[in-house]
Amino acid sequence: MIGDILTILRDNWLLLLVGQYPNGPLGGFAATLLLSALSIALAFPLSVLIALARLSRNPLLLWPSTVLVYVARGVPLLMLILWVYFMVPLLIGAAVPGFVTMLVTLVLYEGAFLSEVVRGGIVALGRGQMEAARALGQSYPQALLYIILPQALYNVIPSLISQFVSTIKETTLGYVINVPELTFAANQINNQLLTKPFQVFFLLAIIYYAVCWTLTFLAVRLERRIARRRAGPAAAPAPLTVRQLTAEP
Amino acid sequence: MTSDAEMIPDVKIAETSNAGTAMIRFENVTKYYGAYKALDDVTAEVGRGEVVVVCGPSGSGKSTLIRTVNRLEEIASGTLTFDGESVHGPLKAAALNRLRSRIGFVFQSFNLFPHLSALDNVILSPIKVNGAKREVAKARAMALLDRVGLSAKAGAYPAQLSGGQQQRVAIARALAMEPPAMLFDEPTSALDPEMVGEVLAVMRSLAADGMTMMCVTHEMGFAREVADRIWFMDAGRILETAPPDAFFSNPQHPRAKKFLSDLRH
Repeated sequence: MIGDILTILRDNWLLLLVGQYPNGPLGGFAATLLLSALSIALAFPLSVLIALARLSRNPLLLWPSTVLVYVARGVPLLMLILWVYFMVPLLIGAAVPGFVTMLVTLVLYEGAFLSEVVRGGIVALGRGQMEAARALGQSYPQALLYIILPQALYNVIPSLISQFVSTIKETTLGYVINVPELTFAANQINNQLLTKPFQVFFLLAIIYYAVCWTLTFLAVRLERRIARRRAGPAAAPAPLTVRQLTAEP
Repeated sequence: MTSDAEMIPDVKIAETSNAGTAMIRFENVTKYYGAYKALDDVTAEVGRGEVVVVCGPSGSGKSTLIRTVNRLEEIASGTLTFDGESVHGPLKAAALNRLRSRIGFVFQSFNLFPHLSALDNVILSPIKVNGAKREVAKARAMALLDRVGLSAKAGAYPAQLSGGQQQRVAIARALAMEPPAMLFDEPTSALDPEMVGEVLAVMRSLAADGMTMMCVTHEMGFAREVADRIWFMDAGRILETAPPDAFFSNPQHPRAKKFLSDLRH
């Protein structure tokens, strides 16, 4: 079994790594990473803007952002992908590459979900911080930039990471619109071998797990670093574990 | 702590251009929360250099009143001027920010910025709002932290400070904007009893320097000793204004009499 997996890896590592590139589009692991990184990099700033729009009293900001969040929450991602895949070329009258379709859909979908995480973080701070900043003469954007967002975003790092990891896993759905990413490459291999689906897809699972674990690991390190910098070395206790919180006295 | 605060040189109290007028002036100010009348036709003024203590039972509108001065609360009708400028008029956002930057405000719950050190709490707004040079803001912040007895805690984060220390940093933070007046909204109500004194000492020394102050507080000892005038509020109205001696020894309004006798028990 492990021998099979190593053989599959040895025979197909280039396909798994970059797909048909340079003879075809970039695919495989590289495409998955690129799609994930771009999705997260674009969805996160978008989510902050959506969250702020959702907290705004201006109906021109409030309504579109609220509709986006409700649609994204209420429709399965796969359906959204198919909609964008079939509708957008009709609307703009030009073919759209699968990679772009997938990227746009993921950015909107994840932007909507992340925005609720960010909004929760802002609301949880309470009014006092904003009031203190404004009472000192700071403008609303200044208060957001220097006071509210640094605290709100730090506090929601765990939820942000879950959502980022979800984004990586959702790139697999690109498979249904023929985006040649990692799952697509694995499926190609499976179709050639025919007899070893378990080994192929087990290998695929390991690769995804490694990527998601790496992101989580980096995020935890970042979180600790910020905590240390903010509290000073003397008073930066490790976050309490569940065991500590629930221990009998 | 008290001796520390007194040894430090005076705070600079900003010169203002409208010297003839009251510092804070309420004229027929009314405010509702839904159908509830939180402020009922309030007319009063705080003179330059005057220390006014606002007292009254909880729910009487004291905090609401003080929060209208820098427009943390909107009013329904009436006019409110600070240093001759209308606070609740049709102000542009930038003008309101400028006005607010000149009104020191100290909260009951301190509201220090927990992600910034004490020093950074104090220098942030002078740098970002007033465009002060970092070194200048820092030197001034250190002098202010020294004044409130906390220069040794400049690098500490709010979570590492006691409540009394946090509130003193909050006062230094407000003073850093060089406001011509300071508002205190129950500054000692969230403190453990043994920490009340250190905060009151700072406020006392500010009053001695001639700072215009409006304080909502339940510290009647402080009111008696430091206030020039007491405003007694109930049900959104100012029922009595009097110098502290007269107010405490011979309150005029029946509601004030009852309030003071309840306090003694």
